[in-house]
Amino acid sequence: MVRVKSRYLLCEVNVSDRSSLLLLDDRAVAATVKSVVARTHGDYGAAMCTIGFSVKYLNAHTGIVLLRFPKRCYRLLWSALPFITSIETRGQKIPCFLNCLHVGGTIRTCQKFLIRYNTQQLHRMLPRCKNEEEKQQIRKAILSCSLTIGKREAFEDEAESEEDEDE
Amino acid sequence: MSVFMDLNVVYSADRSSLRTVIETAAHLGFSAVAINYVFEPTSKKKQEIPTPVKINELIDQLPVVQGRSRPIRVLNRLTVVMSDSSHFRPNAAEYRCFDLLAVQPTSEKLFHAACMLYDVDIICISVTEKLPFFFKRAPINGAIDRGVVFEVSYSAAIRDSTMRRYTITNATCLMESCKGKNVILSSAAEKALELRGPYDVTNLGLLFGLSDGDAKEAVSSTCRAVLLHAETRKTASGIIYTTNSQQEAPGQQEALQEPADCEAPAAKRAKAT
Repeated sequence: MVRVKSRYLLCEVNVSDRSSLLLLDDRAVAATVKSVVARTHGDYGAAMCTIGFSVKYLNAHTGIVLLRFPKRCYRLLWSALPFITSIETRGQKIPCFLNCLHVGGTIRTCQKFLIRYNTQQLHRMLPRCKNEEEKQQIRKAILSCSLTIGKREAFEDEAESEEDEDE
Repeated sequence: MSVFMDLNVVYSADRSSLRTVIETAAHLGFSAVAINYVFEPTSKKKQEIPTPVKINELIDQLPVVQGRSRPIRVLNRLTVVMSDSSHFRPNAAEYRCFDLLAVQPTSEKLFHAACMLYDVDIICISVTEKLPFFFKRAPINGAIDRGVVFEVSYSAAIRDSTMRRYTITNATCLMESCKGKNVILSSAAEKALELRGPYDVTNLGLLFGLSDGDAKEAVSSTCRAVLLHAETRKTASGIIYTTNSQQEAPGQQEALQEPADCEAPAAKRAKAT
């Protein structure tokens, strides 16, 4: 058996105002990526971007996007991503940029990386806490991270709530 | 593994926006940024070279770099846009307070001079207009031998579609002559949203005609080489470094006396050349 190979790009959406992240949805991200590829690489790029491209996962709270590209031409399509300056969603234009964190061959490796990355973010958040209560919560969240899949959901939710408090 | 650097962040008088740019750069994983002061002399009247604002005045607490435990390193850099050979004054005292020194030549003659003679670290390639001259092999090879690097900045390409064409044209033109060696990619960002992550910049190098390894070097090890080159510019042929030692204890003064005597002539000799 041979499987269809693809590359998964784990990207972070960086915005100046974090509350606008909640407006994102995966269709808007997909449309933006398609249009920017068509703009930089023309018809050829647009054709490459139709089959095998999809937005696999979007976390609107942390601004993490998982994009799937066919392995054959992922470098070409990736080179168009830096030219994204805004995402249009629900009639609004959100100025933002995508920052690629990880390139993986499977969703699983991306997930492992994302858990490690989010733990790192919690560590970075710790010195910026304002009161003792927040500190305790973040410490608890750090301890509860693990690589097992069952616990992942719980951790992610906690991470999000922490972030909301911190902002 | 070497760290990522972005050696061009445009200085703006607005402190808070500059601070956001630096914070974003730290978040993206850049270990060093250079604040760029652009100096464009015109032939009509004499202009002052800008003086750099001290880093600790600019930003009180430097943010910690993503994935590391160290705070970000912030440097000062001066770019002289040259349209005449008198615009660059070697040994000017004003240049000495900047960590990095760059020139942007606008004609072939000046480009040749910048590559072969001038004591600078970076030669900027203009990305906002059609190149007024072709890159010749000889000056570029000379610059590579001397350790001077060429800079391509990408934020103009992000802003506008016409600029993107010019950037890609000029960059590929350069890469053909220098074969991907001694090139750095930097942002020239004015706003935080014009910065891009280091891996994205590496991949952007693909559009500019760099190979995988060269593109990665362009954001990491070549930048480090620039910093080291900049340090040797301040020293006597890169061997001896002199600093003003402040009021020291009498015991230390005697110990320092001897090396101070030796290094004075070396420093003088270096200035004369």
